[in-house]
Amino acid sequence: MAGVLAQLPALPLHEAGKYVAGAYVVLFALVLIYVAIMAIRLGRIERELGELLELSERTPVAAGVVGDADPARAEPPV
Amino acid sequence: MYGKGLRALSISTAAVMTAALGLVFFYAPLEAEQGFLQKIFYVHVPLAIVSLCGFVAGGIMAIQHLRTRDPAWDMRSYVAIHMSLIFGVGTLITGSIWAKGSWGHWWVWNEPTLVSFLIVFLLYATYQPLRFAIEDPERQARYASVFAITAGAFVPLNFIAVRMSTAYVHPRVLGATSNLPGPMALTFVVALAGIALLYTTLFRYELTAKHARAQLRALRRRLAGDDALVSVSRRGRSAAPTTLHPAAMMTARGAGRDGL
Repeated sequence: MAGVLAQLPALPLHEAGKYVAGAYVVLFALVLIYVAIMAIRLGRIERELGELLELSERTPVAAGVVGDADPARAEPPV
Repeated sequence: MYGKGLRALSISTAAVMTAALGLVFFYAPLEAEQGFLQKIFYVHVPLAIVSLCGFVAGGIMAIQHLRTRDPAWDMRSYVAIHMSLIFGVGTLITGSIWAKGSWGHWWVWNEPTLVSFLIVFLLYATYQPLRFAIEDPERQARYASVFAITAGAFVPLNFIAVRMSTAYVHPRVLGATSNLPGPMALTFVVALAGIALLYTTLFRYELTAKHARAQLRALRRRLAGDDALVSVSRRGRSAAPTTLHPAAMMTARGAGRDGL
């Protein structure tokens, strides 16, 4: 591995280095922010699922109704 | 439904992006004039291309929505434009960084390519406020589709107009890729594929998340009955489209108000 790395050209991190790093950091940050937002959404969905589980345990009759749920006709996403 | 194949797509995106980064920094030669600074080209230009293609794709999906009246197409169009706006932000920021390094200014107002992209970006920035301004979900979806089609047609026209105008010093990419040396062209194509895959993956993630949330709401409505309908009515206006049939949504909102 060290031999392979030794063969690679050194990155010329002179004056332009900070601009190039900045541009790639922007891309990385955008993806990172998006992943963070998705994580928050996932947490919200998990919490809502927990609430629904509680609700279904409290109202066992509703279990039969749930089977009719048609996700394709589902309600608005936020 | 939307999550199918997402894992494979995510893995391939990560692989291609990693390969692109490897090629950019360890394979592509330094450009004679700009040197190391030219490496920004491999992130800035693919971001711009994918962003503009996403806007056009949003318009095509809007045509499908108007043809079929299927709210799912409205949702796809909304997400495509939403993702393109995010990629547009990336394009503008990386472009500004490149401009600063290359020309010494963060922004050059007399450069047609920069300004035209900003115009397209600002045009699409009005898309969400437009949706938010219309309360009736059916009208909201219809007007948003008309906007997406009109703006989507403007994108290629704008692109052609800019190319026909006299260029200042902005490097030309499309149509001149063949002028790039082989290693640079290969790196650019891989970087473009990576960014396109990233766009597709995030698009699918967004659709899956929205669909999962919609499924949850449907489930809550079925489980909790009127209580859930009240919560629907409390949502108020939303810029996000609906996959529920508009008539059914109006009934739900009406029932919600009765419940209150």
